[in-house]
Formats: sequence, C-alpha cells, structure tokens
Amino acid sequence: MSELRSMWGNTRMVVLSAISAALYAAVLVPFKVVPLIPGVTELRPANAIPVVCSFLFGPAAAWGAAIGNMIGDFFGGVGPADIFGFFANIVYGYVPYKVWQVLARGQEPVIRSPATAVKYTVACLLASTFCADIVGWGENLLALRPFLMLGNAIVFNNMLAAMLLSPFLLAAIYPRVKAGHLLYEDVMPEQQGAAAWTAPLGLILLVVGVFGAWTAGNLISTGYWTPHALPASMTQPPYDRAIGIVVTPLVAVAVLGLGLM
Amino acid sequence: MKTALENHQRAEAGGAEAAPAVALEEVSFTYRSADRPALAGVRFSQRAGEMVGVMGAAGTGKSSLARCLNAIIPGFEHGRFEGLVRIHGRAVNGSRVCEMAPAVGMVFQDFEAQLFSTNVAHEVAFAMEQVGLAPHEIRARLGPALAAVGLAGFEDRDPTSLSGGEKQRLAIASVLAVQPSVIVLDEPTTDLDPEGRAEVFELIRKLRDRGLSLLIIEHETEEMRECDRIVVIRDGRIVAEGPPERILSDTRLLNESGIRPPGLNLVLDALGIEGYAANVDEAEALLRRALRVPARFEPEPDFAPLSPAQPQPAATQDTPLVEIDNLTHVYGGTVRALDSVSLRIDPGEFVAIIGQNGSGKTTLAKQIVGLLQPTAGRVMLAGRDRSTLGAAEAAAMVGYVFQNPDHQIFAGTVAQEVAFGPRNFGLPPDEIERRCDRVLKAVGLDAMRDKDPFLLGRGERQRLAVASVLVLQPRLLILDEPTTGLDYPQQRRIMDLIGELNRAGTAIVIITHTPWLVAEYARRAVLMRKGQKLFDGAVRDLFRHEELLATAAFRLPEVTALSRHFGMVALNAHELAQALRGAL
Amino acid sequence: MPIYLYLDRRTFIHRLHPAVKILTIVGIFWSVYWVDNPISLLPIAVLLLAGAQLTRAWPNFYSLRWLFILVIFATTLTWIVFYRQGKPLVHLGPLFVSRASLEYGFGRGIKLAELLATSVLFLSTTKVEEFAFGLAEMGVPYRVGFAITLAFRLVPLFIDSALTVVQAQRLRGYDFDSGSLMTRVRRYVPVTVPVFMGALRKANNMAMALEARGFGYSARPTSYVHYEMRTVDVMMLLGVIVLAVAYFLIYYSGYGAIAPR
Repeated sequence: MSELRSMWGNTRMVVLSAISAALYAAVLVPFKVVPLIPGVTELRPANAIPVVCSFLFGPAAAWGAAIGNMIGDFFGGVGPADIFGFFANIVYGYVPYKVWQVLARGQEPVIRSPATAVKYTVACLLASTFCADIVGWGENLLALRPFLMLGNAIVFNNMLAAMLLSPFLLAAIYPRVKAGHLLYEDVMPEQQGAAAWTAPLGLILLVVGVFGAWTAGNLISTGYWTPHALPASMTQPPYDRAIGIVVTPLVAVAVLGLGLM
Repeated sequence: MKTALENHQRAEAGGAEAAPAVALEEVSFTYRSADRPALAGVRFSQRAGEMVGVMGAAGTGKSSLARCLNAIIPGFEHGRFEGLVRIHGRAVNGSRVCEMAPAVGMVFQDFEAQLFSTNVAHEVAFAMEQVGLAPHEIRARLGPALAAVGLAGFEDRDPTSLSGGEKQRLAIASVLAVQPSVIVLDEPTTDLDPEGRAEVFELIRKLRDRGLSLLIIEHETEEMRECDRIVVIRDGRIVAEGPPERILSDTRLLNESGIRPPGLNLVLDALGIEGYAANVDEAEALLRRALRVPARFEPEPDFAPLSPAQPQPAATQDTPLVEIDNLTHVYGGTVRALDSVSLRIDPGEFVAIIGQNGSGKTTLAKQIVGLLQPTAGRVMLAGRDRSTLGAAEAAAMVGYVFQNPDHQIFAGTVAQEVAFGPRNFGLPPDEIERRCDRVLKAVGLDAMRDKDPFLLGRGERQRLAVASVLVLQPRLLILDEPTTGLDYPQQRRIMDLIGELNRAGTAIVIITHTPWLVAEYARRAVLMRKGQKLFDGAVRDLFRHEELLATAAFRLPEVTALSRHFGMVALNAHELAQALRGAL
Repeated sequence: MPIYLYLDRRTFIHRLHPAVKILTIVGIFWSVYWVDNPISLLPIAVLLLAGAQLTRAWPNFYSLRWLFILVIFATTLTWIVFYRQGKPLVHLGPLFVSRASLEYGFGRGIKLAELLATSVLFLSTTKVEEFAFGLAEMGVPYRVGFAITLAFRLVPLFIDSALTVVQAQRLRGYDFDSGSLMTRVRRYVPVTVPVFMGALRKANNMAMALEARGFGYSARPTSYVHYEMRTVDVMMLLGVIVLAVAYFLIYYSGYGAIAPR
C-alpha cells in the first residue's frame, strides 16, 4: 500500500488522479441515474469509471475515485457518509488493480477467455463488496442508514456498472493508454517489483475480511444472528451499533490483507 | 590602470554577451517506442534578446527542439538523448524540469491543459508559489504580470470564463511572473481565432521590447515576419535558417517544408520579381517599381477574373436545401445568439460563415442540423419543416462535422468508426460496406481502414470525422472550423477534399476564421455579427466592403488587400499576378 | 450550467478561516451524532437556518429543496421499518409502527438533512482554493490538495466535452433513450470513450505544463493567499466547542435518546 503514498511524487500520477476524479464526477453529473432506493443509492453508470481507471492507473485511480466521489457529492451537497465514502472509494478504485496483480499479473485486463472473466469478476466483486462494507459499517457506526439496504444496494450497484459497462470501456481504452505509455507500470516503472511473497496470504485475508464483514452485517441487520456478547442495549433492533462493532475487526482484517498484497 | 580595469570590465561584459541565451550542441533524441529520431544532430544557438521563429510541418521536431530547452526532453519525455543543451552557458543536462522554471518559461498550445486554478490571480501566483517565492514578493509581482499581458482587473475571474486569447495571455502572465530570461511559445495561437491571435502577437512584440529571448513555434507565416531569425525544421534537422526576408521569400524551401508561403511573395514570384515584401505597402511599392505602373494606374474597377478554383455555381431552380425564416435563438432566456436571421442555401453551394466568436455562427449551424430548436422562426430542409423530420431523414439531408474530431471517434478501427452511423440507421450490411469503401477512398484513408483511429495524426482524424458523417450521404455538409490545429499541408488536404465533395454535388457550409480559406475555396460568404446577418453574397463582393469587415474584425487576406491597392478584388496570388500582367 | 454551489458574497461566514470552517463541520457532525430524538436535534436546525440567512445561501437551498424533502421522507420511512420497538400503533405482518419508531425514523431523517445542510452552507461559502488551503493547514499534503483543486477545475471541462460527444453521436443516429437497462448501460460506451481519450490526451500535456511551471521545485510551495486567525475565528471555534460539549452532555444525561414507549 506504500504506493498510495509514493505515487504523489510523480507529476503524471498526480494529474492522472485528478483526471480520474474529474471523469468520475463528470459522468456522475450529466448522465441520468436510475434511483434504486431514493435518497440512499441509485444505478450510476459513472461507477464503471473507477474500475476502469483502477486497471489503468492503479493507486492514482484509488485517490481519483475518492476525490471524484467527494466532488460528486459536492454537487448535491456532501452527505455524512462521505468520510466513509472517501475511504470506501479509495478501496473501490484500488482493489481491482491490486487483486488483478495477484491473480493475473502481466495479463491485460481485457476479458478474452473464461479464465480472465472469472478473475475479473473476482476482482470487481471484492472491490464492490469491500466498498459496501466500509460505507455500511461507517453508517451503522454513526447510526445513519441500515446496513441491509445500504450495503447490498452498493454491492449491486457497483457490480452492475463494473460488469456491464467497464469491460467494454477497458477493451476500448486499455490498448490505447498502453500505446500512450500512460499505464501505471509505464509511468512509474520503479514501482513494479516482484510480487510480495505475502501476496497470496493477503488475498486470502482480504477475501475473509470482505465477505465476513458483509455476511455479518447482513445477518445482524436482518435479525438472524444476535451477538449476545454485546451489551443488551445494542442487541435490540435496529442493531445499528452492534453491526458497527462486530464488523470493525473484519474490516481491519481486509485492510491488513490489502496491505500484504 | 584605469584602462586596464575598463578593458577587464568590457571583457567580462563581452564574455557574458558571448554566451548565447540558448545553445544546442549536436542534440539528438528518439522517443521511446519510436523508430525514427525526433531530433537528429541539431545545432542551434540564440543570442540574448533575439526572437527566433521555428517553422515546419507537423511532427517534424519543432516541439521536441523547444522541449530540450527546459529539460522536458529528456527529463520528462523518456527516450534516447544525446548532445548538450546550455542556457546562458550553463548545461541543462541532468536538470529536472521544475528546476528550469526560473530560467526558461514555456507556453503551450493547449491552453486548457496549462491552467490549473479557479481564479486568475491564483493562476498567476501558481508558478511563483512552486519556485518558493515569499508571499509578499508574489503579491508584488502579481499586478505587473497581469498588467503586462493586459489582464489587469481580471484577478477574481474564473479562467474558464475567459476567451481563448485571454487564456493564452494568462498562461503567459503566469510564466512572466517568475521572470525567466528565455520564453518558449509552442504554437501559442494555433487554437485561437484571429482576434486572439492578434492579441497574443501584440503581447509577444512587447515581450521582445523588454529584451526577453523568445523562441516561437508557429504555422502562420505572416506573423513570423517579425522574427529576427527563422529556423526551418524538416525530419528532425534544421534545413535552413536566416532572416525572414531570406527564408520567407524562398517559396521552394517553404513548399518542401510544409510551410505556407506568404501570399505577397507568391505574387512577386509569379511575376518574376526579385525581392521580399514584409507587408502590403512594401509589396505595392515593389510591384509598381518593377512593373513601372504609374502611381495613378487603376485597372477597370470591376475587374474580376475567375480562377479555376472558383467555378460558377450551378444555377438551379430546385427547392432550396435550407430555408431559414426569421430565426431567433435565445440561450437561457437572456442571451440572444440569433436575431431574426433568414438564409437560403441551394444545392451545390459552397458557403463560408464568418464572424467573431459569439457572433452566432455555430448557433446558426446547430439550428440547421437540429441540435437546437428555434426560439422563434423556422428552419426548412428541402421544403419540409425541420422539426417534423425523423433522425434518419434529417441525417440524409444535412451532416455536421464538429470542430474537434476527437469528440466523436470511439471505435476500434477506422472502418468501424465510419460504419457506426449507417449501422445506427439500420442500413443493410452490403450497402454499409459499399458506402464505407467509397467514403474511405474519397478521404484517402483507404489504406488505414483496419488501423486504430486514436493512433492516427490530427489531420487524418479530421478526415475520418468527415468520412463518418459523409457516409450518411447528406446533401449538405456543415463543417465547424475544419482546419483548426492543422499544419499547412493538412489544411490544404482537408480543404481540397471539401472542394472535391462540392464539385461532386454536395453543398458545403464551412464556419471559419481563416481569411485565405474563404478567399480560395468559398463562393458565397455570410458575415455574422452579434446574432445578425451583416452580409450575404459572393465572397468577392464581401471583400469590397472593407468597412463592414472591419466592424466584424475580419482581416482581408493580404493578397486581396494588395489587389485593392490596384483597384481590384483578387482572391489568390495567381489571380492577382495574372491581372497585373494582363493589365499591362 | 451552474454546477458549483459557491456564492460570491462577503459575509463574515465567507471570510472565516478555512480550517475553522472545516472544524465547524466536524463539530456539527459530532453534535448530531450523539442524539436521536427530533426535539434535541431542533437547536442545530435553528442554527443552520440562521446560517443560511446570514450567508444569504437560500438560492442553493431552494434549488436543492427536492433533495432535502426526499432525504427526510425516505430516511424516515426506512428506519420506521427497521425500528421494531415500543408499543405498536400499527402491526401488519412486517409493518410495525410505534410512536417510538416514528420519532426514531423522523429523527434520522432530520439528522441526515442537517448534515446535508451543513455541507451546503460550507460549499456556498468556501472556494475550492480555500478548501485546499484549509486542508493544508490541517496537515493534508500539498499535492493531495492540488489534485482536488485540479479535479474541480476539470469537471466542467469534461462535462462540456461529454455533452458535445452526445450531440455528435446523436447526429450519427445514436439513440440514448430506448432499450432495456442492459442495452442502455452499454450505450454509454460511444460517449464515454471519446471523453476518456480526450482527457488522457490532456494528461501528458498537463503534467508537462505543470513541471514547466516549477511543480516539484519545492516540496512545500509557498502560498500567496493567507488566512489569519482573527478574533471572529477564535469565537467561532469556541462556540463550536461549547456546542460539541453540550451535545455530549445531552447524550450522557440520556435526554437525546428515544424513550421506547
């Protein structure tokens, strides 16, 4: 994860993060969104952009997604989840690239075979779910909106854009960015060392943390599972603070996993 | 003793003077993944205070040369670099680009890509902040820098609200504020309208008077006459350099190097007159002397020979292709972009719409093509109300090529890009195939049909944009500034293509700022100002109305202006030469 | 198209130190966090309305009125469903409405609207550069602040470009409005690709122009704008601290909670 820091030393990466952010926000604003739950979430074609940028620019896309989401919120007014939305979007813009590096290092992120399709889906699903975990977790910690609705809407929403739109955009854009030497690996070749030996372990932790958090959040939110170890005041509907507390260590595991990759 | 000291001082001063502002020694550079060098053994030097123009066709190494001066090559653009670059005697090699900022200022063509702030004062402060000037020093320099470029009082404006010329002057102010001794301007006016261009060149003159060393890359020949020296580049090498009177009068050199020869010199050439004219008056004097034309000589006033490029429009009794009736368009309830404009365009015409930015040219075109709906009045296409036509019917009637080809190109190959339109309209595959073949041949992209359009040059992308609209076989083709950002050979190529389409029967409307294009290609001109039609008629007639053109800030092509001194209206050098020869 | 909320007025709130403004947001978010019932949220609503009056930001609130109504309405409804405590007024299958759940839901709606209003006030009174300056004062690295500023500047540019592309493709017979969800999502490709590629063409030029202007010359560039901490800033800060402490005390004393009845 050190590259999230070191990329700021490279002017092209700074510009690419601003461009990723502006593209994300620019597609958010004029294109019609289809509200799924009014005021909570909507089908945003723009959500395809961070995934595309992630495969192209790696860490610059992570910051770009976070800043772009912030700008997008600025148009309609920032919401309270935006401190979490910021981190959730860093993850959304960072995980696809990171997972791809472990699963399919050196391959183009263009779907050409069933194997690449599976790897691509895994990368996007991890990113979408991780993003949802963080927003759902944060909002429950603040007791703002229920995990069940918010978390699942975000996963659905992100996956829809990432699976339907991003592959087409990547197929059209990736080869051209490569030809223009603007891929992360061309802009910062010094960052491209061998994969860390901890990478597979990191991926496992990421999977455990991400899906664990998602499962726990859903189970508690629906009332199927009540963590009785918690104080009684928290184990009553709507369970929001309980979710906040139970999900915290799982999110931490996922972040640790990301750090090891 | 005293004299010795003086001598010493003189030697010191002389020594400092002797070190040129810029020196390139055997500089070669090949971009990574390029197969040919962009610069091949370039030797170049520039005196302090000298204004040097660099000319040549697109992609010949002009920008690469400029980028060596502040270490963008090889510090930012990677590749194979050899040679030595010195600024005021100090070697640049090994410096980071940002370290060069206090010594060499650089202004780029793309003004959108070099403005980073949301207000003018911040923009000017930006570079000063980067090099670490103290805040009070920045505040002290801010005013003078803005005043120098004529933007005093603009401090709180949003740069996006400025005109192109103002944006480019703002970029210059930002560079000036750091007080570099060398300023490089890389095609600063290519994307500007004539007014913006005049503003920027006026500013460049002022900078030169301040004693700055200027290196200017520019396509437009007329402006370059003021340089102290012109350097011509071809295939990464300097093929000629010298004072403007020598370089710009060498028509053969210019033609071979893809540079448009100044019209005045073409007239002299055609009449076999030795010499160089830096402006219309000089050209007149030279002509009168050489041809022994008496000072009072004036040929018959309505002398108007038709050049081969100007065939008579085919007289037709058909229904007009476009008939606009008292059209008014108001943006956002307040801005009256078009004010009761009526216009008729017949099949086979070639019309140029001219006028300043904001005069309503583009609004008019967008009305014809249906991107805007009239606030009042109506637009008829081939006798039918525009608003009643379906998308497919309208597309077969009129096509519109946007100014920037990159606003429509997306497909994986050239052929797919062209096929996109016909496919949307559901044409049968064999018909699409046939049309694509024909259109790609017409625009000369046949050999590139399987190439990725994004890897084509700007001129080729422009032709591709034309092709992908042309394939819908519109009877009228509207082109919004089709030559912007192109070098001279590319401009010629696209305009010749448009001319051929017109001869084959397609009516053409071009929106343009470029005087010589209007003169040499269009037959009819529509002059717009503040949403109103000021003039509508033959180009030659328009050029007689100098006072009208002046109010719309349109400058006559120099050859036409020269011909007016002899009491006629010539549209190109050939015509004027012929007329003068014939008149004697 | 006016896409930013900033209103160029010279009220004392406009002229507050940017860092103070950011801390005020944090203070209000903190205060709102601790309480649930609508009554205890009322004082903050009054403060925000007074803020809107003082900054003359009503036009922004007016143009966002539907968002506010939607947020309050949708949030209230959602939480009523999830809050299953107290004596039911209505109990039909999954539908459970009690006085407590009404209070709780409405409280959540007001909470979200208050957070939204805080952001709208912030954005109406703060320029992007001031925001970046405030972030820098609070320790955010210069380049991150710069990327945010640059992204803000690029958004209108890219929106313009997107609208032009839509026009150009429409003239080539492209239909954006019909078809199933999936075909509609995929239709974004011919619009997004040109916008993307146009942006990336700029990336290199922009990075080059930045370095040519000395970007990178010093790690901590000077700033010609400078905001002094004035008396009014200190007063504001004290006020925010008092507010934050007061709300914690309300929570601590139990007045902010919903009585399950």
